[in-house]
Amino acid sequence: MRISGRPFWVAISLLGTLLFSGCGNNPYPAGQAGKAVLFRAMSDDPRTLDPSISYMSGPESATVDSIYPSYFHYHFLKQEPFTIEPMLGAKMPERRAYIVKSAGKTINGEEWIFKIRDDIRFQDDACFPDGKGRNVVAADFIYAFRRMADPKVPCPVLSFFEDKIVGFDKYIAANRALDEKKQAADYSAPVEGLYLDPKDPLVFHIRLKQPYPQLKYLMAMHFTTPIAHEAAEKYGKELARHPVGCGPYVLSEWTPKKRIVLTKNPHYYRDLFPSEGDKGDREAGLLEDAGKQLPLNDEIIYSTVREGTTAWNMFLQGYLDSYGVTQENFSQVVSKAGNITPEMKSKGITMRKVVTPGVNYLAFNMSDPVVGGYTEQKRKLRQAISLSIDAQAFIDLFSQGQGRTAESIVPPGLFGYEKNYKNPYRRYEPQLKKAKQLLKEAGYPDGRDAKSGEKLTLFFDTRTVTAAGRQYSALLVKQLRQLGIEVQTRAWRPNVWEERVNQGKFQIIEFGWLADYPDPENFVFLLYGPNKRPGPNCTAYQRPEYDKLFEKMRAMEDSPERLKIIEQMRDMEVEDCPLVFMEHSEDLALNYDWIRNVKPHAIANDVSKYRRVDGATRESSEARWNKPIYWPILVFAGFVVVGSIPAVGTVKQRRTRRLRRDSSPSAELKS
Amino acid sequence: MLSPTRVCDWNNMQFSATFSNLLNNALPCGIVALVLIAIVRAGRTPLWAEAYRRLRRNRVAVISLIVIALYASVAALDSVGWTNADGAWTSVIDRVFQKPQERYYSAPFAFMTVGEPKPHRLNARHILGTDAIGNDVFYQTLKGCRTAMIIGGMTLLISTPLALFFGIVAGYFGKRVDDAVQYVYTVLNSIPDILLLVSMLLVLGQGLWQLCVALGITSWVGLCRLSRAETLKHRDREYVRAARALGAGHGRIMFRHILPNLLPIVIITTTLGFSGLVMTEAILSYLQLGVGEGTGSWGNMIDGARLELAREPIIWWSLFAASTAMFVLVLAFNLFGDALRDAIDPRLRS
Amino acid sequence: MLRYVIRRILYAVPILIGVSLLTFLLFYCTVSPEGMARRNLSAKNPTPQQIQGWLHEHGYDKPRSEQFKKHMRELFLLRFGNSDASGEPIWDRLRVGIGPSFLVGSLIFLAALLTDISLSLYVAYYRGTYLDYWATFLGVLFMSINYVVYMIGGQWIVSKLLRLAPLAGYESGPTALKFVFVPMIIGVLAGIGSTVRFYRTVILEEINQDYVRTARAKGVGEQQVLFRHVLKNAAIPILTSTVTSIPLLLLGGLLTESFFNIPGVGSMTFDAIQSQDFAVIRAMVFLGTILYIIGLTLTDISYAIADPRVRLE
Repeated sequence: MRISGRPFWVAISLLGTLLFSGCGNNPYPAGQAGKAVLFRAMSDDPRTLDPSISYMSGPESATVDSIYPSYFHYHFLKQEPFTIEPMLGAKMPERRAYIVKSAGKTINGEEWIFKIRDDIRFQDDACFPDGKGRNVVAADFIYAFRRMADPKVPCPVLSFFEDKIVGFDKYIAANRALDEKKQAADYSAPVEGLYLDPKDPLVFHIRLKQPYPQLKYLMAMHFTTPIAHEAAEKYGKELARHPVGCGPYVLSEWTPKKRIVLTKNPHYYRDLFPSEGDKGDREAGLLEDAGKQLPLNDEIIYSTVREGTTAWNMFLQGYLDSYGVTQENFSQVVSKAGNITPEMKSKGITMRKVVTPGVNYLAFNMSDPVVGGYTEQKRKLRQAISLSIDAQAFIDLFSQGQGRTAESIVPPGLFGYEKNYKNPYRRYEPQLKKAKQLLKEAGYPDGRDAKSGEKLTLFFDTRTVTAAGRQYSALLVKQLRQLGIEVQTRAWRPNVWEERVNQGKFQIIEFGWLADYPDPENFVFLLYGPNKRPGPNCTAYQRPEYDKLFEKMRAMEDSPERLKIIEQMRDMEVEDCPLVFMEHSEDLALNYDWIRNVKPHAIANDVSKYRRVDGATRESSEARWNKPIYWPILVFAGFVVVGSIPAVGTVKQRRTRRLRRDSSPSAELKS
Repeated sequence: MLSPTRVCDWNNMQFSATFSNLLNNALPCGIVALVLIAIVRAGRTPLWAEAYRRLRRNRVAVISLIVIALYASVAALDSVGWTNADGAWTSVIDRVFQKPQERYYSAPFAFMTVGEPKPHRLNARHILGTDAIGNDVFYQTLKGCRTAMIIGGMTLLISTPLALFFGIVAGYFGKRVDDAVQYVYTVLNSIPDILLLVSMLLVLGQGLWQLCVALGITSWVGLCRLSRAETLKHRDREYVRAARALGAGHGRIMFRHILPNLLPIVIITTTLGFSGLVMTEAILSYLQLGVGEGTGSWGNMIDGARLELAREPIIWWSLFAASTAMFVLVLAFNLFGDALRDAIDPRLRS
Repeated sequence: MLRYVIRRILYAVPILIGVSLLTFLLFYCTVSPEGMARRNLSAKNPTPQQIQGWLHEHGYDKPRSEQFKKHMRELFLLRFGNSDASGEPIWDRLRVGIGPSFLVGSLIFLAALLTDISLSLYVAYYRGTYLDYWATFLGVLFMSINYVVYMIGGQWIVSKLLRLAPLAGYESGPTALKFVFVPMIIGVLAGIGSTVRFYRTVILEEINQDYVRTARAKGVGEQQVLFRHVLKNAAIPILTSTVTSIPLLLLGGLLTESFFNIPGVGSMTFDAIQSQDFAVIRAMVFLGTILYIIGLTLTDISYAIADPRVRLE
């Protein structure tokens, strides 16, 4: 066997060295686990890190908000209720009346005066002279507004400001006209509503045509972050991949489809860990780091992990610090009593509930000849369908019972949410009878058209082509079959789905909305007529009474009167039933206890800077949990070797036979 | 807008219930009958009679053929059915194997659901358990047979005539025609298969028929090249010259005289190609370009089960059922294809 | 030789024209650009102006003939432009992705080649015994397992149960080996059936040649015959049959790369499929064609080098 085995053994030994050289399943360089690094996963790269464009929850907004802070931010610990406080701002803005004169008329507007801190510095970047970041001034805030109005920058919230800031609509129109002529937008044209104080470079005014209390929330979103014109001019569209901010972190690496690395900004201004919080925060140890300079960690690594299974297993092996409870891992994580299972607890995993204000619903197309319309019959058909859908079953299946059935459009945690309100057209077991009755009155007894006797068939358009999407539509089909209504599912890829929805080519779709800011206006506007699709009002519901009420409540501060209007609107939408309210989702978040200062925040995205890492614990746990197992490979190799032994004999025999044959000359002739 | 009965399965037209029942059943029955007749009639020709004799002696081939026949009959039974009381069209397989729906996952032969906060009692026993919304996995696996057979069969129905026509024409006429055909298939062949497939599906949209069309268009090149080469060999043979001397037209020579001589090679290629098509379906489902929902397929099941291995307890039955079903069919086709090759064309024997 | 290479390159031109014609028909005459625009703008609900802007920027608002001209020009100058989904220049992504793709691809390729050759020699050595039969049968068996199942199962067994390799990810440099470990095993197993069968036939054909008999008659041992004489001669068809696929390694594996999070060209294509990024897919189709043609030319050339009997005319 001296020569014969060579290639075979070379292959085996190569495989062997390969195995032992790279032993272990640690996906990171050795020693990194012990450092103050946060390891996180994202299912895909962010599309953009441009603060004027990004509008995606998850890792994208967490990254953007860590680089670009705003005038306001949400208090990390005070969440009952959500508390907004100045971040880049030196103090709360001053608000005063402002008279707008236009076309001879005067309108009662409002002026906000913002003053920013004097110690904010942009990060070091090649776009600045000598590569050193300069101080942030009020003009950088105004620049961000002007940039939104640039037609080259598709800003999704532009319409929020367009009709409110004085002169902004004209400015936008002028820019668009320039764009038609293929000219660059004009960043120096005067806008009455965006006013820089000539005396103080740290003060700017925003003048509004109407009182707009929601402005404070918009000033907490990354759209209104200060933008350095040097950076925007140098990088242009590339700003999406080359952020230049003044926040606690700077982007130090972005390898597409691999990872994003954020490192501590050495020139971050004085920003201290809060020293007060909600009741119970002190007991929970959340105030231990009070008064320390942020950020408390040095680096955040987002690895791209596409597969849910992979990410979950990485979390279990300790290579990710946090993960969510999903349909897949629920039974492994949550015990029957609803607490975390002992197995997870022994690994040092803690579980917390995160309630993001949001609502999921099924939407009817109000202009569809079958399910749409405002007649009594059509209304009853929708009510019957609404009654037959058991939202709890959906919550059980897709959110493992985590989440509240939605009764109306305003989610819990926001002003205007009524805890005890029960929607008369949502299903409680005995009401299936009522649903059938309503269906009969709508002209479809037992799901058949009373006139033609044809079976009522509805189309459900879904945008999830994945396995979960298939399950969703199958459950819907199953539930509506109880009424005798057939449902045909049509799955579209998301862009086709969006296009069909925007063109009104659907009967029933599923839709969801997450709060941009904690105000009910952000939800009731989903049925506001002028917001009709392709705006957020996908059903094209339009009732003048509703619209009038909306315009009234929009400009109001929270008050009993506002609550009353919201209730009136709710009763209207419930009776017309353009939406079948499904769920206010609640998520469970998992964290290893080597990450400290964890308190989920439903709206704020800039909470990474508060996390402290106990690297030593992480390192030892990872080493303990991930000892490689080699014996099955040895067993397999042994099996192959032992299995070959009998054949060796056969071949030897054959050879001697052949030798004998070859040695006798007659053998050749015979064969 | 309202359709009273299930949309007719074979073409998107609506008929009265009885007529649509008849048509729905006539097509699969006709296909099965045609296949059987073709097999029996082929057995009378000397070449095939010899091949059958060789095949019968090969135990692996016989077992593979039985397995394939089993899958085919499940697919056929799933295509034959009639409307039930609700006016919904239900196949024989639906009637026999459809189990009551459960709430959630359950293990094979279990009494309770698994993985729910509060387990529920099951309405029936399930041989291979149930999936996330309580559908019987065994039933779904059976439903996948039809999809797999349609994908394999329809694709071959599209690609084989295409390949044969162009192959024979190119080989027979040569010159300009040959150049044109060669150009077309070289262009198609130069694009990596998966990319071409993906582009076509993105454009055509999702669905069983779209998938078959896309696969058909991407998979005819190999056979076309083969039949062109074979025709080139046959073009100047004695029998072709004789036919020409007797005044037979080009069409007659190509399709009555040359074509039968290409059949063995066509049959071998298609048999071996079938398994590849079935496997491609699963890959496309992973890329979310499969047959789409509403059509039960193994690819969809495997794709859905992708996330289930991380569960505790492990939900293995969906992945197991679908991948085993696919594995056995593909293995049977591969083994049978090998045996067939050995039987028909002894020259190719390894 | 040079003349031959030049002729092959010229021959590729009409094919490339055909491919770009085909892709134009496929991508420009069948999809609605508005849909693409809407999806690609990262807004919850883009305004008509924003959509118009996007269309303008990507040249979808121009007349067909102009689009066609632009399409052909771009492809032939290999100016692939920007991705529809991310707006990033496609070449930038290719530059980043080709390294990992080629490394992973060539490691899998080499491992497969080595395993296949040693296994087919092993099988040829023990030809006619139960080992031969079982190896061939196992080969068909491995061939019949779905690639998706391989990936799910391979990751689960090697990375989760045995904890021998990371679940997913990629690092350049020598550490790449541990990330490539599972994809490599899968790549080897999935291809082993058909390849070993082919190699085995090639080797057995050589074994029956006269020179082998002469060698045996001279008293050369069986192993030496197999590894010295037979392998050397069988190497020609084996190597030439594999050369075609070498340039295509640059494109990476669509499934492997996306499942194991390897930031290569394959996962870029995968994302393009998911987001209907036609610009990227168009570029990949064209690039794939070029690489395939390069592969064919390389095959011919390597054949001529390896076998002096073949003349390139």
